[in-house]
Formats: sequence, structure tokens, C-alpha cells
Amino acid sequence: MKNVMGVIYTGEKDSFLRELTLLRAIAAMPVAGRYRVIDFLVSGMVNSGMRNVGVIMQKNYHSLMDHLGSGKEWDLHGKNDGLYILPPFLTRDNVGVYNGSLDALHSNMNYLRRSRQEYVLICNSLIVFNANFTGMFKKYQESGCDVMMMYTKDPDMRRPEYGTYFDLDEAGNIIDIEIDPTKPHYENTSMEVLLMRKDLLIDLVDRGAARGYHELVRDVLQRIARDEGLKMCGYEYKDLCFRLDSVQSYFKFNLDTLDTDVRHRLFPEDRPVYTKVRDELPARYMDDARVVNSMVADGCIIDGMVEHSVLFRGVKIDKGASVKNCIIMQDCHVEEDVQLENCILDKQAVIKHDGKLIGPSAYPIVISKNMVI
Amino acid sequence: MMNKKQCVAMLLAGGQGSRLGILTANMAKPAIPYGGKYRIIDFPLSNCTNSAVDVVGVLTQYQPLKLNAYIGSGSPWDLDLAHGGVYVLPPYVKGKSGEWYSGTANAIYQNLSFIEQFNTDYVLILSGDHIYKMDYNAMLQFHIDNNADCTIAVREVPWEEASRFGIMNTGEGNVIEEFEEKPAKPRSNKASMGVYIFTWDKLRKYLTEDAADPNSSNDFGKNIIPNMLNDKQRMFAYDFEGYWKDVGTIESLWEANMDLLQLPMPIDLYDKKWRIYGRNPGMAPHFVADGASVKNSLITEGCEVYGRVDHSVLFAGVIIKEGASVIDSVLMPGAVVERGAQVRRAIVAEGAVIGAGSMVGEETGNIAVVGQQVQLPAGSAVKAGEQRAE
Repeated sequence: MKNVMGVIYTGEKDSFLRELTLLRAIAAMPVAGRYRVIDFLVSGMVNSGMRNVGVIMQKNYHSLMDHLGSGKEWDLHGKNDGLYILPPFLTRDNVGVYNGSLDALHSNMNYLRRSRQEYVLICNSLIVFNANFTGMFKKYQESGCDVMMMYTKDPDMRRPEYGTYFDLDEAGNIIDIEIDPTKPHYENTSMEVLLMRKDLLIDLVDRGAARGYHELVRDVLQRIARDEGLKMCGYEYKDLCFRLDSVQSYFKFNLDTLDTDVRHRLFPEDRPVYTKVRDELPARYMDDARVVNSMVADGCIIDGMVEHSVLFRGVKIDKGASVKNCIIMQDCHVEEDVQLENCILDKQAVIKHDGKLIGPSAYPIVISKNMVI
Repeated sequence: MMNKKQCVAMLLAGGQGSRLGILTANMAKPAIPYGGKYRIIDFPLSNCTNSAVDVVGVLTQYQPLKLNAYIGSGSPWDLDLAHGGVYVLPPYVKGKSGEWYSGTANAIYQNLSFIEQFNTDYVLILSGDHIYKMDYNAMLQFHIDNNADCTIAVREVPWEEASRFGIMNTGEGNVIEEFEEKPAKPRSNKASMGVYIFTWDKLRKYLTEDAADPNSSNDFGKNIIPNMLNDKQRMFAYDFEGYWKDVGTIESLWEANMDLLQLPMPIDLYDKKWRIYGRNPGMAPHFVADGASVKNSLITEGCEVYGRVDHSVLFAGVIIKEGASVIDSVLMPGAVVERGAQVRRAIVAEGAVIGAGSMVGEETGNIAVVGQQVQLPAGSAVKAGEQRAE
């Protein structure tokens, strides 16, 4: 797939993740003990053989830039191609604030033009999945369609008033697109992954921008593409995927990775997920550690009880503390005799001695970054 | 001519390490896994990068493939540089001749031209046999301040063990007066750590003379150091305090791993100012299942624990199945312990599979070893001190 470039748009609306995205883009959300959402996308592209990946940034992109660095962890630091970080910038016709994916693509037209790949795969960063895109690319080339969009039939991906849904004919052609319907009429939920020829994309973006449009799918594909009879088809993704569009779905996704089948499908041996390395010691279990049904990252020091939880790197659980159904991010410290249940602790939070936080399982308590309680 | 480098490190990594038995059957000693996610060579390489020594020649000879692949471009240690970095230096053919490295000094001698290209003033000689954190730059400063020709790092060992080491008898200002290899009656307990700094002009002279001597065994300890002492060169001992562990035998390798389970850890690997870097396998965080029990252990990414683990070190991707128990043991990357098997006081090498219900090692006695990729059939028994290579 050397001939396909990847573009990841990270500027989506993220207010529904509340405190968790106050300081970072969704793409930079910590997930599954040691990863960021974007790791799955970039690794999936690299594992599929793509060598040129651009990441369009919009807001709160410091932690994302810090995380991606030179692209070395994904072997994207070569002389040709590699990882391109595309932050907003100001020019005569670019105000730096994107009102949608089309604005973002239009602002980065030079990057698109200059890249030597003939095809572009575009995705956003709200969905976590470990994809092999080669099947989609093969089908795209064989099918002779102009625009291919990935979808899933997974009912857990459907949302009221949110998401993009396709109606397909028997040949797999997209005959209708619904965006953010109150109640989705079609069972095919868009994975927000688009594949098309680069020259076609450039042309569509150019014309869309000239008409004052902002969104690639809503404005350009729904209107221009259909008016002009471009052939749009679907490609079904049959493996696991998770939409992170609320605190609850974020919470559930992390806890779902405790299921061995889910974990093995999300982290198959032949498609590793790469991430920034911290060079920490393995996790240290002490005398009084009692850990069951949990995922624990390197650098943790555990002397308390941990059940059905995900501990990110460098978390400390002191003696007598008990942690149940929790997501504890990097470098948090749960002190002696603390009790936590159904909580999400953002990075570097400290729960002092004897504290007790018990949330309802349907709606976890979120403790913001650097909080001391 | 490349940019000038004040100091070039040469890391002797070609020894077989035969005292490690089957563990070094397929790989050089510096490639041996240690501490749950490191390999021995991570320590000298990380010390170099943390000490701002950014040219490291790694001299390989015995079973180098694993080591070469591990070092790669040197990026895990930030040694993938445009000017300098890490270089793997195997023996090579020169004109019509060409020979193996016949000794530690000969290995450096055969790479004179490698060192010359950096226009260096000093050469740091290291080995890949020890676990320690050391600031080579501080030692270099000591060497420069003394206007020394050679500085040898030493550490005080218990007197009763001194006769096992190369001992430096020192005078005022830590001047080395005499060097005794494994003396029966030691007069000092300052043992050489095998870490030397030489002023390059002097070392080149002595290496060249040594190479011309057909009776020499071309060894630093046996030839170069004694010859320099005879000639009254300026030689100093540099005192090192802190954790230093030889991991040259099965027992000492096991002990060094168990040392990390002590509280406080005798070598602080949490120190953010002196991180030990290594190549990361890139696996998901480890998983501890319902019904599992883990205590007093170090466990890293990719592991899945369904059984019991007590006082042990698990490397990446180790799987401990239901009903299995692992006590006082070291399980190297990818090892699998099947249902109901018991592993005690043992080292299980990379990729080995302990069949269901097997008994490996015993509560007392020497350490049992199961070699790389060995598939132990169900119900096997490996006694204390036994090494199972197939």
C-alpha cells in the first residue's frame, strides 16, 4: 500500500468527553493501559504498508505532538515520506480555525499535492480499531468505484443523533447517506474511513471550498458527489471497533480490553500497536498485592487490591487501598486505605490517604488531571 | 575526518560466557535478558548515553546475530547519530590476512583505524558482563585532572572474596602501584571492574608493541596493564561505589534478577535522571486474570497470568496458565508455563514451553535451567542444577 497516503483528522468535536478532553485532543486520549487513540490508526496504516501519514491537528495538540514526535516509534522517520504533523496556520485564505474536515483538507492542499502517493485514506480519530487496510484497498482497485467508505454492522456503534449511516444496494454501492439522524434508519454505521484517488480528492476539496462548504462527507460527498454521479461504495469492517464519544463509552472500551478475546483481537501478534516508549521498569508487585482481572502497565508499583481495572504506566497503589472497576491513568497515586470504585483518574491524580470515591457503574466519577483529593 | 570526539568507548562483547552454560549456546553474553525487560548490554550502552559518551564501538565475535539485531541502529539508546553513535565491529579480513580477535587487547588493536577516525583523546574500554550504573564522564574528568595515562575503575570487595578478582594496590592519591590478578594473599580489596580509560596516544603505543610480541596473550589484564605499570606510566584507580554485579554464571544471573525484588532495590532503576534504555517489544500491558495470584514480582508487557507467581521476574510475553505456579524464578521473553506445572528456583530461557504438570527446579539447591525454545513434554522433571537443552 505504498501508493496510499494516510490523513488523520483530529479536530472533531470533543466536548462530550468533558474533563478528559479539556487538555488534549481525542486522538491523544490515553487508552488500554499504555496507548493513545491515534496509536491504533497510525499503527494500522503502517502495518498495512503505508509510508506517508499526515496528522491534521486543530486544538489542544500539544500532547499529540509530544506523543508522535518524529514518528520514530512507527518507523515513520525516513527521508522520503514518513509522519507529517499538520497544525493549523494562518495565511490569506486559511484562518487557522477549521469548521470541519473540508476546511482542514483545504488548508493542507500543499501537503496532499506534494505527496507522491496516488491514493488517500482519510480517517478521524473517534473510533478505535486495529485495521488492516489492505483488503479495502484491494477491493477499491477491483471495484472501479470512486469513493470507498468503511462501515460496520456492529449495533454498539450506532448512536441516536450522532454518526453517519449508509444505505447500500446489493452490489455494495452507497445509495443514501444519513448524518446525525435522530434515529438511524440504516444498519451500516460509517467508520469515518474514506479511500479515494488523490486527484479526485483534491478536485472535490477545491470545488467544495469554492462553494463555502466545511464538511467533506456532509457537504461534498452528499451533494457534489451525488449530483455528479460519482460511484460511492461501502467496505464492511468485520472486526472489533469502539466509538469513543462519551465518558461512558470511553470507560466501557477500556474495561472491555480486560476480556481476553477482545484483547487478543485488538492486539494481534502480527499487527502490533506501536506507541511512545517510556523505558520504565516492569510493574512491581509487593507483598500485599492482590490483583485480579486487570491490565497493568510497566512502571506500576502495587501493594493493594486491584480488581477489574486498567492501570496505566507508573501508577502506585498503596497498601490497604482497593481499586475496583477503575481506569487509572499514568502516574496516578492511590494512597493507603483509599477505596475507589467506578472511577476514571486522569494523569497524575493523587487520592490521599483514606479517601473514598464510589461512582455508579453506569456513570463513572472522573477526576481531572493533576487533581489531589 | 569526522568531528572530533573527546572520548570513544569500546565495548568488548565477543566473549562466549561459557559459564552461563546453555543460556549462551545461541547468543553472546551481553545479549542475555536481565531484569524483566533489559539485556545486559543495555547497562553499558545506557551508561554511555547518560554520560554523554556518544561513540561506542561494540566488538563482537561469538554468536553475534542476536546482539547485532538487538543493537540495530542504536536508536533505543539515542545512539543513532549522524556523527558518532553505536557501531558493531566484528573481525574482518585485512588484505590477504584476517583473523579472529585473539584477546581483549587484540580486539582493540584490530580496530585502531576505527578509533583514529574520531580524532579522539581518550578511549574508554568496557565489557558487557556487569549490571551497574556509572557516570563514565566523572571518571574521565578524574583521568584528565590527574593527567593520567590510564585510569582503572575499582570497587571495594569483601576481603574474603578479594582473591577472586584482579586487585589494585594503590598509594597516595590512588596511584596504582601494583596489579595482582587473583592474589592468594591480597594486600588490598580494590578490585578492577574491567572499566578502563586510556589516553589514546599511550594506548595506541602499547597496543602496537603488544601486537608485535608473539608471546603475548593480547589481553588488557595480563599484558597491557602490567607493561604500562613496569614502565612507570601514570596509572590511577577510580573508586566506584554502588551496585555492581557480575552476571557471568547461572547463579549470579539469577541472584542479580532476585536483587531487583529486594526493598529498597539495591540498584535504583526508577531513577529518571539515569534511565536504563532498551529495545521495547511493543506489546499490550500485561493481564492478570481472575483466580491468579501475584506477589513480590516484576512483570512486564505482554504477559498473561492465570496461575500463581511469587518472587519472580517475568519478561515480555510470558504466559502462566491456570494452576501453574512460579516461585523464585526468572522467565525470559515468550516463555510459557502450562497448566499445573511448577517452576521453582529456575531460569526458563526465551520461548521455552514447560509442559503441563512438569516440575522444574527444587526448593533448595542450584538453579535449574531450561534452554531457549525447549519444548518440555507434559509431566517432565528438571532437577535443581540441571540444564535442559532439549
